[in-house]
Amino acid sequence: MASANKTGNSSKQPQQKGMRGLVIGMIVFVVAVGAAFAVISNQSIKSLKLPSSVSKADGYGITFNPTGTPKIDIWEDFQCPICNRFEGINGNYINQVIQAGHAKVVFHTMSFIGPESILAANAGACAANSGKFVQYHAALYNNQPTTENSGKITNPWLTLIGAAAGITDPKFASCVNNGDYINWTKNIEADAAAKNVNATPTVFLNGKELDRNTQYMDAAAFKKALTDAGVK
Amino acid sequence: MLKSIQKYQGWISLLARLVLGGVLIAAGALKAGNPAHAAMAVRAYQVLPLTLANILGYALPWVEMGAGLALVIGVAVKAAAIIGGGLMVVFIVAIAQAWARGLSIDCGCFGGGGTVAPGHTAYVQEILRDTGLTALAVYLFRFPHGKFGLDKAPQAE
Repeated sequence: MASANKTGNSSKQPQQKGMRGLVIGMIVFVVAVGAAFAVISNQSIKSLKLPSSVSKADGYGITFNPTGTPKIDIWEDFQCPICNRFEGINGNYINQVIQAGHAKVVFHTMSFIGPESILAANAGACAANSGKFVQYHAALYNNQPTTENSGKITNPWLTLIGAAAGITDPKFASCVNNGDYINWTKNIEADAAAKNVNATPTVFLNGKELDRNTQYMDAAAFKKALTDAGVK
Repeated sequence: MLKSIQKYQGWISLLARLVLGGVLIAAGALKAGNPAHAAMAVRAYQVLPLTLANILGYALPWVEMGAGLALVIGVAVKAAAIIGGGLMVVFIVAIAQAWARGLSIDCGCFGGGGTVAPGHTAYVQEILRDTGLTALAVYLFRFPHGKFGLDKAPQAE
C-alpha cells in the first residue's frame, strides 16, 4: 500500500508541476492581454464619424453658439439621477441662454454608468444632427427610468422619445438604430478622463469648475455665477 | 490551540484562499466591464497624475482577477497573497488619505466610484473590510499550502 502510494506520487509529481506552470502562465497571459486591451481600447479614436457641431477642441461635446462667451461645459450622463435634478433646477435657464446666444454651451454626454448610457448618448448625438438636441435632452430627462441599466433604454424606446421631442427627421431613427455615434461616446469619455471629471453633473465656467456644494443645485446661485461671468 | 490550528491549517488556508480570491475576482469583474467608470474611481482619489490614474483604472481590474483566480485555483498562492495583500494595503492608504483630506468619494472597490455628495461616504466600513482581507493575505503568506491546491506542499503528509 505504502509503496504503491509512493510510486504513484513520483510519477504524478512532474506532471503536476507542468500543470502548475501552465496554469500560472495562462493567468499571467490573460491578465496581460486583458489589461493591455483595456488601456488601448479606452483611448480617443483619431478618425471617426462625428456629430455636427462637435470638435476635438471642445472635447467632442455637442456645442451651441461656438463663438459666444463665456463658455459653459456641462458633463452629464443621461442615466444619472443627480443630472436629472440639475436639469430640473437649471435646465430651462440654460436653454434660454442657448436660445438667446448669451454663452457658448458644450454638452459632454458621458456614458460611464453603463451600456444604456452609451445608447442614450448616441441618440442625443443623432438628435443634435436633426437640430433638436435641446428638446431631446429635456425629453430624455423627463422620461429617465428610475433604475440604471434596467433594460428600459433601448433603441426603439430612444426613437419614441425622439417623436415626443418633436423630431420628424427620418434620418433620426436610422441614426439611433445603426448606432452611428457609438464610437464617438468613447472620445467623450477619454476627454473627460483627461480633464479629471469624476462625477456628473460637472460644470465648468470658462474652464473652471463651479462649486459643487453651493452652485449646482441652487437656481439663484447658478444664475449668479453665470451672470457674474458675463452671461446677460 | 496551536495544535488545532496545525490540524485545521489546510482547511483554514483553503477558506482564506476562497474568500480573498472570491472577493478579488468579484471586484475585478465588476470593474472590468466598465473601464471608464473604473478609471474615474481612481482619478477621484486625486493622488496619481491623470494619465497614470487612468491607465491604472483600466488595468487594475485584470490584475485583481488574475490574483483572485490564482488564489481560488491554488497556484502561486504566496505570490498571489502578496499581490492581493499589497493591493489591500494600498487601498487602505488611498481611502485614508481621501478621508483625511476631506474628499467625498466612493471607493469604487466593486465598480462605481467617483465623487459623491458629502455624507455619502463609507470610509470606516471600506477600511475595516480591507483590513480583514489584508489579514487573510498575511495568513496565506505564512501558510500558503491548503487543501485542493495545485501548489505542492513542501512534504507530503
